[in-house]
Amino acid sequence: MATTEEIYAKMQTSIQEYDQDAAAAAAGEAVAAGLDPVEAVENGFAAAIRELGEAFDRMEIFLPQLVMAADAMKSGVTVLEEAMEATGGTLERKGVVVLGTVEGDIHDIGKTIVGAMLQANGYEVHDLGIDVPAPRFIQAAQEMRAQIIALSALLSTTMLFQRDVVELLRNKGLEDQYFIIVGGAPVTEQWAEEIGANGYARDAVAAVKVLDSRRAEWAT
Amino acid sequence: MNFKEVAKRAETGPLMEANDFLMRRVAANVAKLQSDFDVRWDGQTLVNLDVDLADRCWAAGKQLLLSTGVYSMSSRRVIEFSPEEIDEALRFVPHRVPMGQGKDAVTVHHRAIEDPRPPFIFGGPFNADVHESVFVKLNEAFAQERIIDCLLFPGYLKELDGLVIRPGSGLSSRAAVLYGQWSREAVRRASRPGMPICGHAVMALNEIACTSEEWGLRQSDPRAMVLISELQVDDVTMSRTAYYKDYGCPIYMAFTPLVGGYGGGPDGTAIIATASFIAAIMMGGEIVHIGPQHIKYKQQTNNHSLFLGSLANQAVARNSHIIATTSHTTAGRPGSDQYPYEFSALALAVVPSGSNMTGPRPAEPLGFNDVSPLMARLFAEVGRAAAQLMLDQAAPIVEELYEKYRDKLTFDQAPQGQPFEELYDLDTLTPTPEHQALYEEVKEELVRLGVPLG
Repeated sequence: MATTEEIYAKMQTSIQEYDQDAAAAAAGEAVAAGLDPVEAVENGFAAAIRELGEAFDRMEIFLPQLVMAADAMKSGVTVLEEAMEATGGTLERKGVVVLGTVEGDIHDIGKTIVGAMLQANGYEVHDLGIDVPAPRFIQAAQEMRAQIIALSALLSTTMLFQRDVVELLRNKGLEDQYFIIVGGAPVTEQWAEEIGANGYARDAVAAVKVLDSRRAEWAT
Repeated sequence: MNFKEVAKRAETGPLMEANDFLMRRVAANVAKLQSDFDVRWDGQTLVNLDVDLADRCWAAGKQLLLSTGVYSMSSRRVIEFSPEEIDEALRFVPHRVPMGQGKDAVTVHHRAIEDPRPPFIFGGPFNADVHESVFVKLNEAFAQERIIDCLLFPGYLKELDGLVIRPGSGLSSRAAVLYGQWSREAVRRASRPGMPICGHAVMALNEIACTSEEWGLRQSDPRAMVLISELQVDDVTMSRTAYYKDYGCPIYMAFTPLVGGYGGGPDGTAIIATASFIAAIMMGGEIVHIGPQHIKYKQQTNNHSLFLGSLANQAVARNSHIIATTSHTTAGRPGSDQYPYEFSALALAVVPSGSNMTGPRPAEPLGFNDVSPLMARLFAEVGRAAAQLMLDQAAPIVEELYEKYRDKLTFDQAPQGQPFEELYDLDTLTPTPEHQALYEEVKEELVRLGVPLG
């Protein structure tokens, strides 16, 4: 049987090689070896994917590689989660995020990058896609037991729908239950404050930093 | 291929998810073609001087479009093209497109590499948010600059009567009507009643409400459509294209390849850009606008975008008759010297590479009225001067200009500048003495660097 270090090495390699099947197989080995799933995620997957996130920020790798690495990690983590659930436990994630591009806006790439970077940094991300109506964000956040709602808008004409999500939450009396973070080309910190969002991030790296550094405001 | 056939294929082509299209068709094929055709950036060059690389980029881009097609985000189907259909479209692509009316009519044309003819200038607010209180005056100030050939995107009316406009709403239809009326009024006030207005009123289908031969945008005015990155289209763009084509407007088709995205670096993204130039023609475009986006920067004057702009334009200029124009967005804002240094660098990179010119404008995020007609004049003057330079003469000037702003490329680092109403006297519609002095100073410096401004 492989040693713990060898299993972690396989998990890391699967991320570095963007290999979903290998990630699932390595996670399966970790389960079979009785390794602690939380430690396996941290030592096997998270370290490798954080390195890739940094390489993405330095433009040494690009979006396809980041997406593939995040998908590989998702495959592996799913195996570990299933093992935990089978024994009555749950695999703790850093936080649960509902993410999407707001209504009227069909721009996908910026939001996809944010999703991949958050996933790469240990968040559970539920990507609702593009042109997402305000009520859908709230419905999904409730269904997924999310702590964070992340709203993307590329156009100055569609960013007002970020305001609508915040306003709808307020009208439902739910504004204290979620951390709202906004971003996108025309969005500024000033706009975030104006509409009552909790946070603003200019890009994917900043989104991770904001959520990590303000964990006390959203962690339950 | 006519537009009817394109629209039909958007309903009948292969069905797939967007992520599969982007990852399996676009990203996978770019990586392979980049290797097959050896399209590589050396990490240093700002202006491409290797015409063989440009030809390889063209071949790779054409092959990419054949491999990918164009994805309809609305129907989730791929509009595919055969090699014969692409060749025929390129054979019959218009190399000149007239626009405007009467004595104000002008013609935009295809430019070759190092073409000595001046570039066509699309200049105006360029979709900056423009407040209703200054909409006519701001556009009049652009239209009175005779060096601008076509008034470009007269600005988003983000608010009316203090209310923020929701796209697709009744208020946005009213905004589109006012956009048409006020844009026409602006060019009339500038004594250019037939000046073409390149329109893009609101980001929804009710944009067409700006159309009227009597008071709004006319058949002779080009209309802008935007493809979504990468190689994607939606029903709104398809619908507007269908309407404006049959109405008879010149079709101005824009695309925005993302450096750091599915094409990788500037070299792989240049292949996507080349494919997108051809895709825009297949989708009914007659004037094709490249507006590179970047994963880290919001403007188009960074080193990656300079190289990408020069390479993709050269690929198109050498191998087709496509009428190309390049978007110029900056980190620096009007009222700062960085603003003209940035747009001058890009103009000097792309005009000798065969492009016409669109812009300038600071990148998002923007406040209201963050543009300057005087700087648009300088932009046009630099473009005309750039047409007198060979690529190897322009390249070192681009490098010197890039050094002036390379460390101030983000919104936070770049000078914030001033809006139109602080740069102009609104009664006389003339630049303030300070703004005029900035124009003179920058022009003097550009001449010192070797830009042949007369």
